Amino acid sequence: MIPESDDHPLQALLVQAREGDVSAFEALVEASRDQVYGLALRMMGNEADAAEVLQETYLSAYQGLANFRGDAAFTSWVYRIAANFCLMRLRHRKVRAAAEEALAEPEFTPRGSLAGMPSEAWGRSAEDVALDAELRACIQGATDALPETYRQVFVLKDVEGLSYEDIAEVTGDSVAAIKSRLHRSRLALREAIDRFYSEKGLKRDGQDRI
Amino acid sequence: MKTCKDSIDVLLQYLDGEMPPDEAKALEEHLGGCTPCVDFIRTYRDTTNLCKRALAAKMPESVASSLQGFLRERMKK
Repeated sequence: MIPESDDHPLQALLVQAREGDVSAFEALVEASRDQVYGLALRMMGNEADAAEVLQETYLSAYQGLANFRGDAAFTSWVYRIAANFCLMRLRHRKVRAAAEEALAEPEFTPRGSLAGMPSEAWGRSAEDVALDAELRACIQGATDALPETYRQVFVLKDVEGLSYEDIAEVTGDSVAAIKSRLHRSRLALREAIDRFYSEKGLKRDGQDRI
Repeated sequence: MKTCKDSIDVLLQYLDGEMPPDEAKALEEHLGGCTPCVDFIRTYRDTTNLCKRALAAKMPESVASSLQGFLRERMKK
């Protein structure tokens, strides 16, 4: 999430940093870098690219401090810079040939009814339940497998908490296109988690019988 | 009468609270009698929560220190 409200203590540092106080700028970096890194890692999908985005972002922020009007929170501002750097890099990457049709969807009967029920294991996925390493790996794999433009939208909206309008601004796509990609990404990830739960359940049942 | 497929196609709009009231009412009529859809919506929402938690990342110390070194080098100029 982009913190908007708890950013005020940073305003004093911002004033000092603008006046050339390097340690004040370093304090601003420290206060915001985890969020910026998280965004970069999820967008880029690997640590090396994320670390480079982080460097570009803060260098650009440092050089642009004089132009930063301070009407947005500092963290939101660097966050926006980072999102732009990520998108620029992603545009240069060779577009993976993942066809849209490859996205998993729920199955329906010919009459349009849902063909199956979700795995019972979903019941245990309430927020307070520990996310085990296997499920975490399954979700990371499924997110990485989404077509690039879908993954961007999903990460920016559901993980980072940006508004549709903000995403439209950084990606240059229409809000309608963004919503459609978000929905299809959620459906595909839901299918992946459901399959994970079902297979795990089958495995466990099998062990029980032995 | 709406089908499950009709309902799931417009789920995002519904959950975002951006659906015209009469359409929302028609959807809720379907949901009222459809356990698979109710379960589907619950797991659709859980997907976001689970993914958000699964994808959380803390910056490794090595990245933090190389960022600091990089910026110090550039800020001197």
